[in-house]
Amino acid sequence: MSRLFLPSLVTVMFLLESIIVQLFSQPLFDVYLLVPRMLLVLIVFITIFIGQTEGMTYGFIFGLLYDVAYTELLGAYAFAFSLIAYLIAKAMNVLHKNAWTASFFAIVAIACVEWYAYAIQLVIGGTTMSVQTFFQARFLPTLFIHTIVILIIAYLLKQTLLKWHEKRDESSPV
Amino acid sequence: MPKFFLNKRLIILLVSIMVLVALIGFSLKERNELSWMEKFVKDTVVFMQSIVHKPAQFVAGFFENVNDLRHTYEENKRLKEHLEQYVLLQSEVESLKKENERLRELLNKKESLRDFVAIQATVIGRNPDRWEETLIVNKGSQHGVKKDMAVITPQGLIGKVRSVSPFSATVQLLSAKDRQNRISAFIQGDENVFGLIEGYDEEREALLLKRIPYDAKIEKGQRVFTSGLGGIFPKGLFIGEVEEVVADEYGLTQIAYIKPAANFYDIDDVIIVKRKIEMSQEEEGQ
Repeated sequence: MSRLFLPSLVTVMFLLESIIVQLFSQPLFDVYLLVPRMLLVLIVFITIFIGQTEGMTYGFIFGLLYDVAYTELLGAYAFAFSLIAYLIAKAMNVLHKNAWTASFFAIVAIACVEWYAYAIQLVIGGTTMSVQTFFQARFLPTLFIHTIVILIIAYLLKQTLLKWHEKRDESSPV
Repeated sequence: MPKFFLNKRLIILLVSIMVLVALIGFSLKERNELSWMEKFVKDTVVFMQSIVHKPAQFVAGFFENVNDLRHTYEENKRLKEHLEQYVLLQSEVESLKKENERLRELLNKKESLRDFVAIQATVIGRNPDRWEETLIVNKGSQHGVKKDMAVITPQGLIGKVRSVSPFSATVQLLSAKDRQNRISAFIQGDENVFGLIEGYDEEREALLLKRIPYDAKIEKGQRVFTSGLGGIFPKGLFIGEVEEVVADEYGLTQIAYIKPAANFYDIDDVIIVKRKIEMSQEEEGQ
């Protein structure tokens, strides 16, 4: 695995989020709005299995790209992603690193970011969606689908990241 | 010592929150142009996206095709019926067009608010955070796209250009919440009724056509078009049909709920509309 593996994985995930939403833009059953947050899941896993610095750097850079390229609300996701990477790195100081804790934190992170984004939209007047509608039509379905996806890929993703991390350390002993 | 570090972290957190608030305030401001950094990032992302988009669309297209096949028979029957009507309509349009041209020549009026140049664009992305409904298309200022131009699909108007970079543009859909998103429109009838499209009702999935005179008689099912009076949009772009008319809160004007003709989801190709008659004042102002 080359050194560029991780950056390209994150980049592809970043690009796919927008493309997936474009290709499947119709709300599920005309009600449920699914928001892809796989980039965030990836950032959480990087923070846990590779390191705090990497997690925060990827979080900040791709959060900023997300802001500039997609939402045009500068700083919102850059701040959220790097803060989440920081907090998770601190929490991992006392917890075991395994696929279960990583999955748990990824789901918690998605929940936090969803509420955070909703709060910002409410403050700037970007939406008039009621809390109840948000909870039922956006929050729960998004969380549900991501829980399934995370449980499927968690182990594989963990192994991939650890393997890449080892390889990188071998090639450049510091 | 630990307390000192704790304070340092707190200060960093506070500073970054302040920067965050300032940045959000900055991006909410009405800007005529993006900074060169944003343009560069957008174009780079769009370039990479168009590479990934092709195979992704291919896979998605396959499932769509399978789905389409299931409805082919019924659709074919319906389309054949349409086709017969279409021939009639076309001959009528041709004769009207010729008559229109002749009359225009008589009046010596060459340009009309209806004339526009179409810029074809492909949608290659959508705002993934799904709060503000925006599309990313692959045509930019190099292709003649400018801010605030109308964007349509064959079914009707879908939105306007929000920001432009050299090789890409962001399209804001009509369903996005934006108070500055005003479109001058009219309801077609024996007597055309003018109003402004302001806002979108998320629950009814209908556009709000406001400031209609209180004595105007509007019926359900009447068609709504852009009026071309707003400055940048051409005249006669189809928006949708009237669903319901209610009096506004003071009873001075009426509000019509408009069912948009275009589907705001599943948009693959769009047409960016450039009006032939430019606003002279605006051109001078730039």
